[in-house]
Amino acid sequence: MSKEPNLKEIERRAYMSYHQDGLLDIFAGLYVLGFGLGIFIDIVWESSPIGLSMPAILIATVLPIWIVAKRKITMPRIGYVNFGIRGSNKIFALFLGLMAAGLGVFFAFTFAAYQGGSRQWLDLIVQNGMLVVGFGTLAVCTLFGYSMGLKRLYAYGLLAVIALVIGHFVGIFFVYILMALGTTVMVTGVALLIGFVRKYPLKGDKAIAK
Amino acid sequence: MAQLYVVQSADFLFLQRQTQMTPGNLSAHLSKLEDAGYVEITKEFIDRKPHTALALTKKGRDAFKQYRRDIKQIAERLPE
Repeated sequence: MSKEPNLKEIERRAYMSYHQDGLLDIFAGLYVLGFGLGIFIDIVWESSPIGLSMPAILIATVLPIWIVAKRKITMPRIGYVNFGIRGSNKIFALFLGLMAAGLGVFFAFTFAAYQGGSRQWLDLIVQNGMLVVGFGTLAVCTLFGYSMGLKRLYAYGLLAVIALVIGHFVGIFFVYILMALGTTVMVTGVALLIGFVRKYPLKGDKAIAK
Repeated sequence: MAQLYVVQSADFLFLQRQTQMTPGNLSAHLSKLEDAGYVEITKEFIDRKPHTALALTKKGRDAFKQYRRDIKQIAERLPE
């Protein structure tokens, strides 16, 4: 007997297949790592232009490289699909959200640092910065993990909150945790990419089409 | 039909990966759908490479919607 097709499940599978390549993880990890490096450079060389402009550099470079990588690595292996406006908006929202969150945290800390403790709430955020960032990351990861159907984002969120809470109480430098988290996400992405490339080896287009 | 219904357009390789069908089988299905006017095949260039995009026509979308309605009605009429 014919069964009513579960369109949501089909749409979810089609969408997921586009993010099983690990590219999202590699570039998100790269972004977090670069963001951590930016703060590190800024602290070591005291407000160096490189450190301060790192988030802007990342935004300008990561997204175009991600698009090119998608075209060169993912599309030849699993095919091309146009999800329409709704699907494109999802990807755009993810990147915009992640970058906005990163930038927001960066500027909030920079602003707080230059305020000289004139506002109590800023002092509170700075004093508990790692907890704020940890739970903020968990919220962002949960939100995007749910909307994108990517369960590994929950794991990243949990990892971030655990590392930052431990870091807060043990007293580990925030930047080190940030760089470690970025590296972990990036390495996971590389592992996923290797698996993806092995699972979907390149075939000649003509051989598939005919 | 369901695969193409949830996207705007897709190519042959994507549909093959999603449906797990053999190229010959999928090709036969698509030919029948194209003959019925349900699927539109467009030749385009992506990164200067020729590319074949497949999309449901309005007639195809309407037919699929009607099919879903029919299946739902049949299911509702079935005894528990």
